[in-house]
Formats: sequence, structure tokens, C-alpha cells
Amino acid sequence: MTKLSVIRKSPNVIDGSAATADLDLSADVCVIGSGAGGAVVASVLAAAGISVILIEEGGYFSTADFDMHEAHTVPKLYQEAMQRTTADLAISVLQGRAVGGTTVVNWTTSFRTPEDVVEHWAKKHAVGGLHYADLVPHYEAIEARLSIHEVDESTMNRNNRKLYDGCKAKGFAVAPTRRNVYQCMQTGSCGTGCPINAKRSMLVTLVPDAIDAGARLLFRCRVDRLESAAGEVTAASCTLIDAAGYGVTGERATVRAKRFVLAGGAINSPAVLLRSGLNEGGLVGTRTFLHPTIGVTGLYDEPIEAFYGAPQTAASHAFAHRGDDVGFFMEAAPGYPVLSATAMPGFGAAHRRMMETSSRRTVHIALAIDGFHDDVPGGTVKLRPSGAPLLDYPIPPRLWEAFRTAQRRLAEINLASGAKEVTTLHDPPVTITGEGDLGRLDAAPWEPGRVGIFTAHQMGGCRMGDDPKSSVVRSEDLRHHAIKNLYVIDGSVLPTSLGVNPQESIYGLARLMATRLTAR
Amino acid sequence: MNRRTFVQRGLFGGALLLFGGGGLVLYPTRHLGSPTKPLRVLDDRGFQVVIAIAARVVTAPDADPILLAERIDESLSRTPPEAQADLGNLLGLFENALPGLLFNGRPVPFTRLDGPAQDRVLESWRDSRLAVRRTGYHALRRLCFVAYYGDERAWPSIHYGGPPNVGGFSHDDSKAGTPELLAAQDQKAGAP
Repeated sequence: MTKLSVIRKSPNVIDGSAATADLDLSADVCVIGSGAGGAVVASVLAAAGISVILIEEGGYFSTADFDMHEAHTVPKLYQEAMQRTTADLAISVLQGRAVGGTTVVNWTTSFRTPEDVVEHWAKKHAVGGLHYADLVPHYEAIEARLSIHEVDESTMNRNNRKLYDGCKAKGFAVAPTRRNVYQCMQTGSCGTGCPINAKRSMLVTLVPDAIDAGARLLFRCRVDRLESAAGEVTAASCTLIDAAGYGVTGERATVRAKRFVLAGGAINSPAVLLRSGLNEGGLVGTRTFLHPTIGVTGLYDEPIEAFYGAPQTAASHAFAHRGDDVGFFMEAAPGYPVLSATAMPGFGAAHRRMMETSSRRTVHIALAIDGFHDDVPGGTVKLRPSGAPLLDYPIPPRLWEAFRTAQRRLAEINLASGAKEVTTLHDPPVTITGEGDLGRLDAAPWEPGRVGIFTAHQMGGCRMGDDPKSSVVRSEDLRHHAIKNLYVIDGSVLPTSLGVNPQESIYGLARLMATRLTAR
Repeated sequence: MNRRTFVQRGLFGGALLLFGGGGLVLYPTRHLGSPTKPLRVLDDRGFQVVIAIAARVVTAPDADPILLAERIDESLSRTPPEAQADLGNLLGLFENALPGLLFNGRPVPFTRLDGPAQDRVLESWRDSRLAVRRTGYHALRRLCFVAYYGDERAWPSIHYGGPPNVGGFSHDDSKAGTPELLAAQDQKAGAP
């Protein structure tokens, strides 16, 4: 038994915001980032008796903070209070920032990396050190640890049920998702932190495991740069963040270690390397993938209440493989008030009318599978003058085509499920009332700023591979090609996107690589 | 990339930034309200412009544009300094009469227009051929909706009953639901 309430009070937990002097800490391994990558690594290493310091920029929150109210939780739990966007403001970036990382706010969907994706990496991206069979035992272990299991179809909320039934009616392959929850009460509030810890996020599982096994957690601590000398990182130089989470205290931290594991995710890990001047080959931050996401909303006569119930319990991968065209997969999204309001098009009275009917609306999304076509190379993480990351993601023609096709499929699904009208997230929106109108969707404008585009899945930017000329870390152990005591173990090492929600892919990969690391 | 990049991209370079940052002021900004607490990011002119925008974007009868503008100022404080500067330039561009004249044929600042004319300005940004104006419109719109719909007083109008009651329950064990713990619990309960 490992009581979370006891773990939180452990002397191994250090609140950077409370430090009254500079901190100077050392350990065998310093893990930077406590999300899907870092928490797994820290727990595996600590269990092997290795001394670990786990650094997290965000706060250490609990169910006492998770009141299911967006205005209270979003500023605490999301990067830039959910205002992070791409450089041209065209894509909204949803990414967590807390002990536990994005796993605290994700919608719990858990898939293994598709086997053909791992094979694609081997063939196209010189990933020789990683085979699907290597990952399987680690997926199995993570699935047992995090209660990952297939959803019981009877628990689908109406938002997911409409997607599921609509896909069936159209003959599109669809299946219940798998979720990392135990005794879920279907509050629907996964995106604002699970109020009952039913979600088995890193916050309530492997971070506590790591602390229990002796790892130290230093939160409210941002790594500014990695100091290096003679081809090795010597220390992480950090700024301590205040309790509110956005200012600095004026105190600093230095963490020294024999090895460093960067696990800040696909935007922050490249940013740390760039700030540290560790970008000799110029590849850091490139090939950043997002599963760029568009949506539609179907209006029904009956209540849908997409704000209640597990957010994602059905998924269709019927169009994941489209040959020369970019594939996409389709899921539901929760209809929280703020999330809905920002997604719904328009302003003034027109927007109000949409919101007044929002409880009778579905929110269905399509996620484009980027990175598998030469002319869909993803985006680039750069640095702002302040050192904060800035993601540039130009949308190439082939992605626009995928959005257009995906939108049509989502509309067809809703019409087949009985929607009286389907509205796109264009501004101004396109609304159709029947199959005969579908052609109008094709004529909708597809340009930045004319349609809502989102990402909740950031991948790539420090890609793995066996050729230092085309990758940042080695695929066999995710060690930096040039810096021999630096590892990157998170979603940033993925050479492409995944075609499935990424959390379990990162857990499995991190567990495999952490296990290999303990053997060194 | 420097801090001016956002406004400069796809536009007329530094000249337009000049308008956003101050430029030629033909008429002063209209005073629409005073903040009830010190502003963190916006200057007074920006605050007035945000009030004017919020009043057109959120037209619910109970919406208080001054309160919304205060919340927007607070949420901007959680963004990087460059994003704050970009937003300031964007508001300047929105308000300034000269780009207004250029884009919409209006020589009057946004805050001095009547409601329908302000809506036309918002629509012209939304429908602009320049991506930066379209995405700028969305950034401003988004800030207003976050400020309004984050407040529970807005929820009845959208038939959202608020967060469900979980009765104070929460799991307090890191290993809840693991086969290991479930087996231990079964054993304790005397299950076969």
C-alpha cells in the first residue's frame, strides 16, 4: 500500500517555490519532466536502487485541486494556461504542466503503438534498436499497473455513442477504446484532473512509486539549460517557480548527476536542448508532429451532454491508412463549457445561439496522422528571445486534404446517427442538414485562421535513429548521439506521429529504455 | 525570431507594427471603464480596447465587459512575454484609426465605433485575406470566451449543470486497481 496522502509529505518531495536559498542537489540520475516518459523512467531506476532526482516545472496537485471547474484547473494544469498555440496562432496546443505531465489532463485513451508504425520507423528512419516484440512485455506491465482495459460499451456517453453508432451505420470500422482507469465514476472531468483518482495517471501511480522507492521529486523547478563539458552534461541549471506557477522566486537550483534523462515532451525537451546549445546537427526541434485535429458538431433533438461521462470511449481507425493521402482517426471530445465555447465558431449572438444548444451537440474530432509522407514533415520548435519554446507548424496541402475528407466522414457519421444538422468549426461555419448538402463541406475554406485546429498529441523534435546525420538520439537506448551521459526518453524521440493517442506508446517505450538503462 | 514576428508576418512589415504599437492617433481611445485592481499585462489603452471587443464578442445579458477584460488581463499574465507583446500590438492594430482606414475605410478608433460598426470590424478581421488578421481575431475571441464561460454564472444558459457530485470520494492508493493490490484485498476479505 502506498498512500498518496503519505507520499506527498515525504521528505523526498521538494517544493521549489518554498526554497529560501539556492538549491544544490546531486544524484546518480537526473530526470527532467514527470509525465509519461519521466515518471516511468524515475520509477524503474529508483526501484533498481539508483538515486534519482525528478524535476518538474509544474505544481504537485491533488484531488483537492481538481474541482472540475475549468477556470480553476486549466491555469494550474496546462502549459501557458491552455493558451499555447503555434507561431501563427492557427493551432491551439493542449499540453499538461504539472507533476504527472499531460497524463494528469489527458482523456485516458490508451493504445499500444501500432506494429506497422514501429516497422515503418525501422525501414524509413533507421530505427534499428527497437522492435515491436521488445515493447510487448513493457506494454503488458504498464497495462496491469495502470488498469488499462477496454471500455464496456454500455458505459459510453451519448457523445461517444453517436460516433460509435454512426460509424456502424456507415460501415466504418469502430471499436471501444481502452482507458487507464480504475472504478471510474464517469464524471467526464479527465481533462481537468480526475477528481477521484480513478484515472491512473503518472501523478497517482509511477511518480509516487518513484518517491516511495527513494527518488526525490523537485517540483516548481524549470530547467533553463544543461551545462556540459568534454562531451558530457555536468549539471542542470534551473529557475525556481513561484507557487502560483508563472513567476520566478529569484532562487535557483543546480542539479548534478552522472546521467541526465530529458523527458519534457515534444515541445519542452527540444527547447531545453536548444537553450543548452546542444544542436550541432541542426535537427533538434525539427519533425515535430501534432496529430493536427479538426472537428464537427452535430445537433440532435435529444440531450447529448458531452460534458458528462468518459470523454473518449469509441474510436474509428477506418481511415488511418489512405496510401498517398494522409490518414486520420476519429474520436469524441468532451464538451466542457470553455473548451466548447472556444471551439464553436462566431461571436456575439450567433455564437450564443450555438452555445445555448451545446448540451444537444456532439463534439467529434478527426486527428490527422502526420509524418508518414515526405511532404508532411511536421513543425519546428524554436526559441523565443525569452527562451520559451515557440512551435511553427505550416500546414501542407496534403494535410488540408485530410482535414477536408475527415470532416466529410464526421458529418456523414453524425447524419447517420440522427443529427438534424451538422456544423463545421469554420468561422463563419458551414451548416448542413442532410446528405444532399455534403458537397458544401468540400467547398468550405481550408486556410489558417478560417477553421479551428487543435493538437493534444505532441510528438517528435528529438527523433531517434541509428544515423547521427538524421537523428538526435540512438534508437537502442535513446542516448544522445554526441553527449554520452544524456538520454531523451519521451514522446519527442518518435520519428513520426503514431496514428493512436500517444500515452501508452510513451509508457512502453520509456519502460523498455529505462530497463536497458538500469543494466548499464 | 524576434518579438515583432507575429504582427510582421504576412503584413506590411514594420509599418504596420508601428500602427499597432502607437502610430498616428487621429482620435483618442474612448474610455469605457476602469479596472478594479491593478492590471498585470495590459496598459490602459489596451484595457479599453479589450472591454470594447469583449462587449461585442460576448453579448449575453449578464456579461460584464470590464470584468471580462480584467480576467483576460490575468490570463495573459500566464503567457510568455513575447506573446503578451504580440497581443498588445494586436490590440493597437485593432484600435488604431489608420490601419482601420486602410483595411475598413474607417478613420475612427474601434472603441469609438457603434456596436454594429464594431461587429463589421470583427467580421473584416475574421474574413481577411491576411492570415495574421484572421488568427488575431480568433485569439481575441478565444480570450473573451475563456473569461466568460469559465464562470459558473454562464452555465445555466448552456444547460450545463456543473460538475457532478462525487461525494468526497477519491482513491488514495498509488496501486489502486493493480492485480497485486486486488489480490491482497481479496485475501483480506476472505475470498477464495
